[in-house]
Amino acid sequence: MSMTRRSILGLGLAMATAGCSFAPTTPGGQPTPEDTTPPVTPKVDGDLVYFNWADYVDPEVFAAFEAEYKVKVIQSNFDSMESMVAKMNSGNAYDIIFPSAKWTQKLVAGGKLRKLDLKAMRHADAVYSGYSYFADPWYDAKSAHSVPFTMYKTGIGWRKDKLGELSGSWADLWNPAAKGSTFLLDDRDEVLGMIALKLGLPINTAEPGDLQKISAEIKGLRPSLRGFSSDDWGNLLNGSAHLTQAWSGDMVAILNEAEDASLYDFLEPKEGSPVNTDCYAIPMNAAHPGTAALFIDFMLRPENVVKNMTYIGYPMPVKGTESDYEALVEALPQCVVTVDDLKKDLMFQNGGTAAEQARDKAWTDAKAG
Amino acid sequence: MRKRVSLWSWLLLPGTVWMSIFFITSLLLVTALSFGTTDDLGTPHFGNSLSNWAEVFAPVYRTVILRSLGYAFITAVLCLLIAYPVAYAIARHGGRWKNALIAAIVVPFFANYLVRMYGWAVVLSDEGPLLGLARKLGAPDDWRILHTGFGVIAGLVYGFVVFMILPLYAAMERMDSAVIEAGRDLYGGPLRTFLFVTVPATRQGALAGLVLVFLPAMGDFVSAQFLGGPDQIMIGNLIQSKFFDGQNWPLGSALTMLLMIVLLIAMAGYLRRARKDEQEAWQ
Repeated sequence: MSMTRRSILGLGLAMATAGCSFAPTTPGGQPTPEDTTPPVTPKVDGDLVYFNWADYVDPEVFAAFEAEYKVKVIQSNFDSMESMVAKMNSGNAYDIIFPSAKWTQKLVAGGKLRKLDLKAMRHADAVYSGYSYFADPWYDAKSAHSVPFTMYKTGIGWRKDKLGELSGSWADLWNPAAKGSTFLLDDRDEVLGMIALKLGLPINTAEPGDLQKISAEIKGLRPSLRGFSSDDWGNLLNGSAHLTQAWSGDMVAILNEAEDASLYDFLEPKEGSPVNTDCYAIPMNAAHPGTAALFIDFMLRPENVVKNMTYIGYPMPVKGTESDYEALVEALPQCVVTVDDLKKDLMFQNGGTAAEQARDKAWTDAKAG
Repeated sequence: MRKRVSLWSWLLLPGTVWMSIFFITSLLLVTALSFGTTDDLGTPHFGNSLSNWAEVFAPVYRTVILRSLGYAFITAVLCLLIAYPVAYAIARHGGRWKNALIAAIVVPFFANYLVRMYGWAVVLSDEGPLLGLARKLGAPDDWRILHTGFGVIAGLVYGFVVFMILPLYAAMERMDSAVIEAGRDLYGGPLRTFLFVTVPATRQGALAGLVLVFLPAMGDFVSAQFLGGPDQIMIGNLIQSKFFDGQNWPLGSALTMLLMIVLLIAMAGYLRRARKDEQEAWQ
């Protein structure tokens, strides 16, 4: 659900930020100064300035938070990780943001996130005791600056009534029966990563030879592509997609909204599904970090976790809520993401400016070629 | 006399200041940034790197710029063909309904462009009303409009046709109807009078309309995003993606400059024509 609204709202936001200023700082990579600010402890210190994908939290949960702590939640939305960072860089102060693993790593490296006092959060234990993986994830040493929010993986969504069963590989996206009704996600890492998996290359590769092979592979698929679109579930529901690269959580929206959900299926390809996690984090320049930490703790209460999972369709790593998610995706158990899925070689990571630009170039070539 | 000139000069001041701050300064910033670099967080830094300029000559950008020129040109011509009869009918035969008719054309354009394009995506979709109707009338099942070049151009024409109607309407409204009567008195038939009297008298409006449609259509990215597929990407989409997903403002700036240079070359013909017309008018 979220991904869709992400893409729609995206344009408006893109246009709004297009005129945004940027703060030219000293050139070159200056070393990050030692972070001497104390960890944030949860306490009310003002209204919450909230910055997230659109529709990524159940409105009832906001209302309950406002009522319980007598604060307001001032919402704004971003449409991509890049525009989130662009807005932060241009001097906006937010109390809470939701970067993905890769972006959490970037922001931590850039000294942009506050440390959190996890011991002072009553419900954090349900995350870290149940999911020891997050006690020291690769993107944020000792989870000092972040708490995981959602988990998701990328696979293939398709119409069983049109295509029957698939073979179980990423190569299924080349199915000739779906020519003209195949979509790829409009997401650089997802597309390059998917092809890399199909070819047996590392998903974050920036080697010129690898990127050339990947570009050639995408060009081979282009004639059967209807488009690049992150509105995966919308395209499946309105009939323009019979076969699409899709995020696991978006399949839940299909289970909820399709007239006949049994027509749709989700494949976790045998070469591997890229996995990812969105995190809670508090920016260095947050004006009300205490309220933000309270909000994280509030969101981690099991009843709120269940409400949010039901609302957005993505599982959350909180002990005791697993069976609720399994019930939600009973028809498509492949959508469950477990901690065993979170393998580092299946997660998108940073390769530095040169590598990112090489990947972006390959993506432009593939997409616009 | 001397005093009046200086008064008029003073009146130029607010506009000049405004343009200097918001147009020229940002243009200079974009120019400077096209030689810049970015850091790991995507923050742009000014610099003296030529790598962005080397990059914009990759074949992919040439393909996309040529495609955008083609779409913008077709859009401008279609807008002219659609707008001319509309403007003519309203200006010459609208009578007391003239203003109401012009308002009826302009009012839908008060709605946000983005919202209108999203509406078009629904109207043109495979299961949408337009193709539903076409199929009832016997069109083949695999006809598609959404995600085709036709869809993108349809969106551009709808988006910008009003910029063609208004200058044409103004030109026709200004035209003295006596010249048409004179043409008829001189034994010109309706067609000859139209071709040799009406068309030349409204040429300025048509040229202005062509420019007003061509320029924004060339830089547009919304229509291609909502109504196009992978083969309809326009230069505006690429620039937008460099600034956002690509986190590469310097490369986006270099592409913006390249687009401006291409447009200036494309406009050179128009500017020369306009200057010639002006000289003729003075003689």
